Amino acid sequence: MTIFSQSVSPCGKFLAAGNNYGQIAVFSLSAALSSEAKEESKKPVVTFQAHDGPVYSMVSTDRHLLSAGDGEVKAWLWAEILKKGCKELWRRQPPYRTSLEVPEINALLLVPKENSLILAGGDCQLHAMDLETGAFTRALRGHTDYIHCLALRERSPEVLSGGEDGAVRLWDLRTAKEVQTIEVYKHEECSRPHNGRWIGCLATDSDWMVCGGGPALTLWHLRSSTPTTIFPMRAPQKHVTFYQDLILSAGQGRCVNQWQLSGELKAQVPGSSPGLLSLSLNQQPAAPECKVLTAAGNSCRVDVFTNLGYRAFSLSF
Amino acid sequence: MGAVTDGGIPRIGIMESKDEVIRKRLLIDGDGAGDDRRINLLVKSFIKWCNSGSQEEGYSQYQRMLSTLSQCEFSMGKTLLVYDMNLREMENYEKIYKEIECSIAGAHEKIAECKKQILQAKRIRKNRQEYDALAKVIQHHPDRHETLKELEALGKELEHLSHIKESVEDKLELRRKQFHVLLSTIHELQQTLENDEKLSEVEEAQETSMEADPKP
Repeated sequence: MTIFSQSVSPCGKFLAAGNNYGQIAVFSLSAALSSEAKEESKKPVVTFQAHDGPVYSMVSTDRHLLSAGDGEVKAWLWAEILKKGCKELWRRQPPYRTSLEVPEINALLLVPKENSLILAGGDCQLHAMDLETGAFTRALRGHTDYIHCLALRERSPEVLSGGEDGAVRLWDLRTAKEVQTIEVYKHEECSRPHNGRWIGCLATDSDWMVCGGGPALTLWHLRSSTPTTIFPMRAPQKHVTFYQDLILSAGQGRCVNQWQLSGELKAQVPGSSPGLLSLSLNQQPAAPECKVLTAAGNSCRVDVFTNLGYRAFSLSF
Repeated sequence: MGAVTDGGIPRIGIMESKDEVIRKRLLIDGDGAGDDRRINLLVKSFIKWCNSGSQEEGYSQYQRMLSTLSQCEFSMGKTLLVYDMNLREMENYEKIYKEIECSIAGAHEKIAECKKQILQAKRIRKNRQEYDALAKVIQHHPDRHETLKELEALGKELEHLSHIKESVEDKLELRRKQFHVLLSTIHELQQTLENDEKLSEVEEAQETSMEADPKP
C-alpha cells in the first residue's frame, strides 16, 4: 500500500489519509495522543472507498475535505465523515480537452482569499474552480508536461506550479498569466541530469522558494530567480515545507530531514516507511495538544512525530 | 480529656471497629505512662483518702494526691501547647502551599514568555540565514564600482577610437578627392593631346591633298 496524501481536520483532532487503492482513512489524533491510548486508537476510526483510483491529493477547508485522484475532485463533510456510509457532498470534473483519457489530478491548492480551489495534474493545465458556485473559472496553460505540485505565494497572490517539464512557473491569479518561469534544470549548480529534470515538490515563503525532485533540493530567491542554497541530499525529495526557521523535507529514504536555510542538515529523523511521500503539520489553533508532524509514504503506516526529534508512534491503515 | 474508662475501652462510638477504637485509645494515651491511669489512680486515692482515718497518713496521701494532680495539669498544659503548635504549623503549611501555587503560575507564565521568545529568535535566525544566502550570491557578482569604472574606461576608449576612425576617414576622403581631381586632369590632358594630334593629322592630310592636286 502507498499513502499518497494526508489532511488535517479543521478542528485539528482528526487526520485523513488517502492511499493508492482509493480509500480514505480517518484517524483520531486526540485519541492516539492521549495518555490512555491503546492499540485500537492507532487504527482508523473509519475507512471508506472514496475514489476508483489512487487519492493523490487532499486538502481541507473549514468544513469540507476535498480529495482528488482519478480526474475528479470530491468533497466530504468533516462533520459527517465519521459516520458509516458517508456519501460525498459533490464531485466535479474540470473541463478536459480530450474526453478519451481522463488525466489524473496530482495536486490541489486552496486559495482562501478568493475561496477557490486550484487543481493540476496530467493535462498540464491548472484549473481554477470557485468553491461557492462549483464553476471552473480559468485554465492556465504553459506547462509542457504534467504538473506534480502546487504552492501558494500569499503576499502577491500567485500560484507556483512545478512539473515534469522541469520548470517552476508562477501564475498571477488575477490576470491569469504566467508571470515568471524558472527552469531549474538549466542551472548547473542544482541540475542532476542522471535523475531527470522533474520537479517533485515545491514550497514557498513569499520571497523564497524550495523545490526539489530530479534536480537537487534548492532554495531560490524568487525576485532575482537565483538559486541561493543547495541542500546536499542525494535522494530525490518528494515533499518539502517551511516550518519556523527550518525546512523539512522527505522523499526517497526513510528519514524526515530538517535543514537550516544555510544548507546545513540539522537533523535526520528516521520513520518507519522505506520512502516518504507526504508530510503534514497539524498547526490548527483549535487543538494545540495535537500539534504533531505526520509522515506517510510507501507503507500502510503514518508516522507521528510529537517532537521533531524522534518518531513517537505510528498509525496504521 | 473526657475519655471515661469503662473496663479499659473508651466508650466513643458504637459503629467504630476494634481497630478504630484501639487506634483512638493509642492516640489518646500515646505516651504510654498513662495520663489515663494517673487520673484513675487519683480518683482511687481520693476515695481511699476520704475513707482513711489517721491524720499523718491522710496528710501524706493528700500531698501525694496534690502532686498527682499537678502532674496531670502539667501534662494537660503540654498537650494544649502541642495543639497550638499543630495549629500554627497547619497555617504555615497553608501559606507555603499558596506560595508554591503562585510560583507555579509564575513559572507557567515564564514558560509562555520563553516560548514566544524562542519563536522570535527563530524568526531572527531565519532572517539572518536568508540574508547570508543572498549575500553569498551577491558576493559572486563583481563590485558595482569596479564595473562602473571599467564601463567608463571602455566608453572612453570607444570614443577615442571613433575619433581616430573619423579622422582616418576624413583623410581617406580628401585623398580620394585629390586623386579624383588628378585623374580627371590627366584625362583632360589626354583628351586635349589626342585632339591636338587629330587636328595636326587632319591638317597634314589637307596639306598633302592640296599638294597632290595640280595647279589650275
